[in-house]
Amino acid sequence: MTSTTPTTGSTHACCDEYAATRTGVSRRGLMKGAVALAGASTVVGGAVVTASPAQARSASSVLVVLSLRGGADGLSLVVPHGDRAYYQARPSISVGSDRLLHKDGMFGLHPAFAPLSSYWQAGKVAAVQATGLPVANRSHFAAMEEIEDADPGTTSRVGWLNRLVGTTSGNSPLQGFGVTGGVLPTSLYGPTRVMSGGAADALAIPGADGDGLKKASLRTVWKGNKTPLGRSMASVFDAVGEGRAIRRAASNKSDYPDTDLGRAMATAAQIIRGNVGVEVVTVDQGDWDMHVGAGGADGGWMNNNIRDLAGSMAAFLGDLGSQADKVTLVTISEFGRRVVENDSGGTDHGHGNVMFVAGAGVKGGYHGRWPGLGTGYESDLKVTTDYRQVFGELAVKRFGASTSKVFPGLKYRPLGVVQAR
Amino acid sequence: MPVSFTSTTSTARQLVQQEPVNQSVGQSIGEAAPATRRRPGKRPGKKRVRLLAPADRHLVRRFSYGITPELAKRVRKAGGGLAWFEQQLSPGSIADPQVDALAGWYPSLRRGPSELWRRQVKEIEGGWEVMDDYARWLLLRRIKTRRPVFEMMVEFWENHLHVTAVGDGQFTHRVDYGKTIRQHALGRFDDMLVAAITHPAMLIYLNAAESTKEHPNENLGRELLELHTVGVGNYDERDVKNSARILTGWSVDMWESWRPQYNREDHYVGRVKVKGFAAKNGNDDGRAVTRKYLRYLAHHPQTARRIAQKLAVKFVSDRPPASLVDRLARVYLDNDTAIKPVLRALVRSSAFQNAAGKKVRDPGEDVVGTYRALGISVSQPPKGDRAGRSAAATMLYSAQTIGVSPFGWPTPDGQPLDGAAWASPSRLLASMRFHLDLAGGWWPTVAVGYREPKDWLPRRQVRFEDLVEHVARITLHRHASDRLVEACCRATGVKRRELVDAEHELVQWGFPRFLSVFLDSPDHLSR
Repeated sequence: MTSTTPTTGSTHACCDEYAATRTGVSRRGLMKGAVALAGASTVVGGAVVTASPAQARSASSVLVVLSLRGGADGLSLVVPHGDRAYYQARPSISVGSDRLLHKDGMFGLHPAFAPLSSYWQAGKVAAVQATGLPVANRSHFAAMEEIEDADPGTTSRVGWLNRLVGTTSGNSPLQGFGVTGGVLPTSLYGPTRVMSGGAADALAIPGADGDGLKKASLRTVWKGNKTPLGRSMASVFDAVGEGRAIRRAASNKSDYPDTDLGRAMATAAQIIRGNVGVEVVTVDQGDWDMHVGAGGADGGWMNNNIRDLAGSMAAFLGDLGSQADKVTLVTISEFGRRVVENDSGGTDHGHGNVMFVAGAGVKGGYHGRWPGLGTGYESDLKVTTDYRQVFGELAVKRFGASTSKVFPGLKYRPLGVVQAR
Repeated sequence: MPVSFTSTTSTARQLVQQEPVNQSVGQSIGEAAPATRRRPGKRPGKKRVRLLAPADRHLVRRFSYGITPELAKRVRKAGGGLAWFEQQLSPGSIADPQVDALAGWYPSLRRGPSELWRRQVKEIEGGWEVMDDYARWLLLRRIKTRRPVFEMMVEFWENHLHVTAVGDGQFTHRVDYGKTIRQHALGRFDDMLVAAITHPAMLIYLNAAESTKEHPNENLGRELLELHTVGVGNYDERDVKNSARILTGWSVDMWESWRPQYNREDHYVGRVKVKGFAAKNGNDDGRAVTRKYLRYLAHHPQTARRIAQKLAVKFVSDRPPASLVDRLARVYLDNDTAIKPVLRALVRSSAFQNAAGKKVRDPGEDVVGTYRALGISVSQPPKGDRAGRSAAATMLYSAQTIGVSPFGWPTPDGQPLDGAAWASPSRLLASMRFHLDLAGGWWPTVAVGYREPKDWLPRRQVRFEDLVEHVARITLHRHASDRLVEACCRATGVKRRELVDAEHELVQWGFPRFLSVFLDSPDHLSR
């Protein structure tokens, strides 16, 4: 797989004006909405507008799942400097032991993680090495599906986060939120309704102008529609009322890296600070499929990606306000890479990988059992921790969920990466 | 392009009038005959629209980017849906003047790889700008074409053999890659597969151009099996390695001339075996082995099933019956991977006939379908700053905002074909914003002609429910359901039997919201 990020300012370079116009339009709608908010309910042209819905239930825990798409190289993120095979296998892309951050006898963080250092030192970030699917799946698409469905042996497409949200109380679509402008990740697919949005200020019915007529008209034309579109429209109807609280939480995106990931994480934080009962948030980031030209310690593709990841994670952890003690962030990638680098300065699809867990309830530092590396061209990092154990511990300890419902068939064994609420 | 003439400005259009807008009145979209001035009163927006029979409506809607009154007329002229479809399978027999006229809009789409690269390096024009224009050119074609079946099949195959349109290396060959797919889109899959997999754009995109015999890069070798042919679960890791070995040698002179080249010294020599394909592969020129291997894959029953499944998901329903997929796979194999017989079988199946309205329009289909539904004319963008506000420019951002622009999907699996993927709440909200912008004629503002609200009135004075029926026929090519009339009443506050004329407040200022009821309905968002 190749995931391509344009090198230049790219696709949006010439549409700033477009964006400005767009925002202008929605702001106008917003102001009218705010006027309607002042009164409890008013009658406009025959339609009753309930402008101030009951306060949404506040979530007691929030889980943010950040997917690093493309198969991130866990051996470059959390470098096993204590394993000599690592240096033998990677003559051109390894990171020297003297360059690593927060070293222990075996591991150290890639130097580009510097922006996250204060959180690591404070014990707010954990890294679990050698995690992944129990059996290797080197297809990007099949592996993502398997990881996010997390219910081996079934063909029904229901994601584990959808199941998790289904076990908690309440039935607001906002309990599961995908920060995305387009397609939802598999983890959120399923019978429990969820919400999605690329930016917080988009969470309003366009042209509603606060009079309730547009929404009433939409309800009429979509009534009883049981298609996927109809279900999503029902989520929109139930969620837009809370959009106001989210927009009022204000975005702090200038504190984040000016990247897609930075913007998405800023949106995630804004939604969480809106405090409208969001329990699960997904964020996707592509661009980790480095078959060629990964670069070294001082620069290049990997270095840039890690800097973006670390900067976005740090900004996010610092942007949660009063919600900070509820929110745990976890990263996952569909597979790790081969131990031995290829002839193009990159690595091909492998198996075991690292997961980061950060924020509320986390016991910081390095976790997981290190299996040792081989140096044969086909060598993989072996998986010693089923990725579901990491998610499972979060589901049990932070949400009080039952692993048999969220991860059917998993023999749950707590890892001690997070503490109970 | 349609010749347009300026109408009087209504109050609703004052915002737009700050820009010199190409106001085209009643001039309808796309495939309309080269326009001449029409007498007022003879505008298409005023004419009663004759509807196709439901089965024809379904066929044409599924295999076009939206039924306009003109398209319906041509379907009738061809002798009905199936006759029209057969005609469409010979696109060369159909004149397409408005698409031909697009040829001069984007000069860089005709430049060769080395020139495009030189322009990027000298900062004259970035590769991403050329690729944005390529995506625009595709959207414009879809809006204007009289060969929608061909254009849809080009889109389908270019997505199946996806090469992301933005990317530092492959952009140099990306337009030619699209042309290559276009040549085979209604031909044979085995020919198309050979041409696509050995094309420089694909070799660059999935790293085969940098592969070596010592450590073959597995990226293309794997995706060829997983995505382009037999599908996941039908090969093992040994197959992937041998697949990658067979492809070694195919290369491109990257970062220099960008000329395709075959490097014998990089080709892995020695016995190779992938599934049932085995070759001695004793020559350092592995091109013949590659072609045999690709033809083997194209004719494999698992490839047949995978392609049949994808065609059925795109054109029938998200979960097509297995019996249909089996039948299409058989037709594909029986006809040596020829595509037309498969399509003929598909449209005649009962599964297809029972699937009316069951697919979700994806972001590109929504953008194109909305321009067509509203009869918006799009003309060549001017030079300079104003170009960014032109319809031809902004329709790309519209598609991006709703979810994805043509071939902007970042990964080699291509954008999803199932409706469920494009049914997310964020997509719906983005679609509704886009619909309202166009319904109001608010954005874009340059090189675009919106129909005036009063031109939607079928006569000087009309009952509201009759106006709803009239607009439903134009925008949705169907009768207005009682529920749609009710929704229009609710949105606008106008009563069913209320008389509407040009002075009515609905026409004066309520029209954007009125039109958005049609565009935000399940009928418009589905196909």
